[in-house]
Amino acid sequence: MTPTELADLSRVLYSPVTLSLYLAAAFVYLYALTTTVGRREERERGMRARKVGLVLAVAGIGTHIAHEIVRGLAQERLPLGNMFEVTSLMALVGVLTGFIYMQVIRKRPELNGFVLLGGALVLASALLMYSEPGPLMPILDTWWRTFHVSLLVAAMGIFAAGFVFNSLYLLRDTGELAVARERERQLEGSTVGAASAGDLDVADETSGIGGRTIDRLDATVDDGRDHDAEYRAALRAGVSVPRLVIGTFLGTSLVSWVFVYSAATLAEGLTRFLTINLVMVAAALIARWFVPLLPPTATLDGIAHRTIAFAFVMWTVGTIAGAMWAEQSWGRFWGWDPKETGAFLTWVAYAGYLHARATKGVKGRGAAWIGVWSFVVLMGTYLIANYVIVGLHSYAGL
Amino acid sequence: MGWRWLVRMRTALMLLGVLALMTAVATVVPQEPNVPTTVRSWRLGEEGPGATVSAVLDWVGAFDVYGSPAFLALLLALFLSLTACLIPRIRAWIRLVRRSKPPVVKTVGGSDITASFQTDAAPADVHAAAAKLLGGRVWRIRRHDPEAEGGPLDASSGARSAPSQVAAEKGLWSREGGSLLFHLSFYVLLAAIVFGQLLTFEGQRGVVERDRGFADTAISYWNYQPGRWFSEADHAGWRLELDEFEIDWIRDPLAPGAGQPTTFRSTVTITPADGEPFQDVVEGNQPLTVDGFKIHQLDWGYAPRVEVEVDGQMVYDDLLTAVAADGGGFRSAVKAPAADPDVGLEVFFYPFAPDGDGGPSLTGAPWDEAPLLVVRQWRGDLQLGATQQTVNELDTSGLESEGGAFLRPGDEVVVEGVTIRFPELRRWVGFQVSSRPQIPWLLVGSALLVAGLIPALYAYRRRVWVMAVRPPGQQRTLVTVFGRAFQRPEKFEEEHGDLVTELIRMVGVPPDDTTDPDDRAPRSGADPAAAARDSATEVMPR
Repeated sequence: MTPTELADLSRVLYSPVTLSLYLAAAFVYLYALTTTVGRREERERGMRARKVGLVLAVAGIGTHIAHEIVRGLAQERLPLGNMFEVTSLMALVGVLTGFIYMQVIRKRPELNGFVLLGGALVLASALLMYSEPGPLMPILDTWWRTFHVSLLVAAMGIFAAGFVFNSLYLLRDTGELAVARERERQLEGSTVGAASAGDLDVADETSGIGGRTIDRLDATVDDGRDHDAEYRAALRAGVSVPRLVIGTFLGTSLVSWVFVYSAATLAEGLTRFLTINLVMVAAALIARWFVPLLPPTATLDGIAHRTIAFAFVMWTVGTIAGAMWAEQSWGRFWGWDPKETGAFLTWVAYAGYLHARATKGVKGRGAAWIGVWSFVVLMGTYLIANYVIVGLHSYAGL
Repeated sequence: MGWRWLVRMRTALMLLGVLALMTAVATVVPQEPNVPTTVRSWRLGEEGPGATVSAVLDWVGAFDVYGSPAFLALLLALFLSLTACLIPRIRAWIRLVRRSKPPVVKTVGGSDITASFQTDAAPADVHAAAAKLLGGRVWRIRRHDPEAEGGPLDASSGARSAPSQVAAEKGLWSREGGSLLFHLSFYVLLAAIVFGQLLTFEGQRGVVERDRGFADTAISYWNYQPGRWFSEADHAGWRLELDEFEIDWIRDPLAPGAGQPTTFRSTVTITPADGEPFQDVVEGNQPLTVDGFKIHQLDWGYAPRVEVEVDGQMVYDDLLTAVAADGGGFRSAVKAPAADPDVGLEVFFYPFAPDGDGGPSLTGAPWDEAPLLVVRQWRGDLQLGATQQTVNELDTSGLESEGGAFLRPGDEVVVEGVTIRFPELRRWVGFQVSSRPQIPWLLVGSALLVAGLIPALYAYRRRVWVMAVRPPGQQRTLVTVFGRAFQRPEKFEEEHGDLVTELIRMVGVPPDDTTDPDDRAPRSGADPAAAARDSATEVMPR
């Protein structure tokens, strides 16, 4: 095949093939998650759906890898040279790591839906930065670059997975808090505390999220009402829709304004800005719907912590490698170039998260919020350093 | 405020937050050491938010965040807080390493994972096997046998009444030790950066192909930035001459990546202060190191040779080092004070300006397929020495324009009685020469940082107890293996199960063992109280 045909093929493999496979797998997995609280036959249907989701997800990862290979062949270099390629690989690493982690290590395949949904969003956002395959500047053509950039990109993907789980943790925790408050209000004046028996929140990680107990076993009280369903509805209702929508919109805006700034026309920029924001709001609302079906907060928090700790090590090594390469190629190891500042800022933010998680009074919600903000810092500095402020690194950019 | 305030993790988090904020400011506001011209236009209000805002930014030091007193104060506070945090931790860690023994337990209860089996082997043999197994897997072990020890036992562990057992632990030293190493590496990095600033040297110098070159001495650099402790005697005194500079691009405008450079290569001749000259190559990712000085290519441009003759007298003959300007051109200036009055030429060089319908058309392409020199002549007072001006710019305040001309290589034109010639075209390369003795120390610091970070995150603290008892009058020994995981209990389950299986293999289980196989498999006892207790042990257990 000619390079042009290869380029076309790689584009098709990316979108629509991989994108739709990820989305389909995400929705099948999410459907399977809805059946976990249903009746037996429903649960069996869920198990079958999970198998379909597995096939779709593996197929999506396969076509994504195929896309990277074909694109690499079309331009005869590793596809790590511009924003599109970096973001695409970030999605691949995020999906692959999250998927293997959930499926094989944590054995929680029911959460794959969120990993794939996050991956599909990153994948789609890369399309906003699409560029045709092309050769690389000579200064970028070195082993160092491959090492440094691939480590950082992989870390970005895993940080994205960590962000998904920190957000899910916060949603679930907000729901649980609301339910606990409601119980307390109802039981005011009662001599018995809100609840102590039947705490199903088994801490499977030294996360320090304990102390709050949610009484779920009182669902066995036979008064003809479906207490489980009521509990689930209360959890969902605990997350206020207006606050979630406004918060997500504003939070996403902190990053997506870059698209308004960098677009050729204001209309185009606003379209992109609104598309990204509304997609994020939709994703948040979907996640809210799944709040009652999520695993206990401690599990979500543990998963977020493990993924972020892993990515933090990669980020550290990748940044050091970058400094070594800079010394080699520019004659200075660190110059507070926008991209370097961004890498440092991200590192500090995630270091803050890891410390917060070991700090009394901050761990739990406080730490998770720092984790979420850290991802805003990551994406913000990534886009700002490429689109807004031109520095030495910018030739790696668009 | 005070020491207690400094030790707190909240303080450290807050300081990290301020650090992040300051770096964020430095990302958004242009920094003077990086882009001085942008900062100048911000101050003048030509760019950015306006002169008033810029004055405020200047006042708070936002144009040079990393050199501002606030940043230094923050750095000091961070390191003070770090030190305050580390001193007690290091002392506790040393105490832990020197004195601590895995604690013994009196009863089985309270552990997270328990498994038990029966065997014919004597309790002492089981304990020996367990010690061998755990010791072989790098657990720190403690064999406790109240009857054999006899004498007074240390009261702190309350071991007097504890039954005979093997207690083992791992990850306690390495997790905290890794964390300490990670934090201590910052002192190495800070020292390397501070001393590096003092000892470093950086200089830039442009060299034209097949021209004089330059020697490594203080006066020969165009830009000279020595550290405070770098003296002129530290120069090595070698000479560099540029033999050839090769550069190429993707010239096909339809090819992918059109216009991108593909080659950047300088062939240079180096003459060391005391040695034979040798030829070498400097490329993008491949600097040249001479006597501890690193030589990088930083910049490049075209070097047209320009001759100026007034009244039959040669007043100027030199190679210009034209720098890239907007629109794909290169700009420079000729300053000839030897003429009377002074002659000044504003020079624009266009590498690829083929002849079009109405004269040369400027394509903006950087390759020299149709070089064109555009000059504008000025006469009057160049004000050399009177005003601050760069090599490539004229100060036209004392000059009068006399018209201009186009020149192709080899051309000669006469403008108002001044003869201007463009006999040849070369290229020049801007080299950066640097000496950074701190680099090995930075590498050591980075290596320590990573070496500490990995165990700090991935060494899990675990304790295991193996207790073998043979009740009086019975033939069988009951072996209980229980363990506690301070991190990632779900991962520990596997390890615990593996330990139990291995121990069974070593001591043997009677063939008629009636123990329920499920019982032998590790169970996880998950009581919320234990989980809450464990979460409180993020600090080191005493």
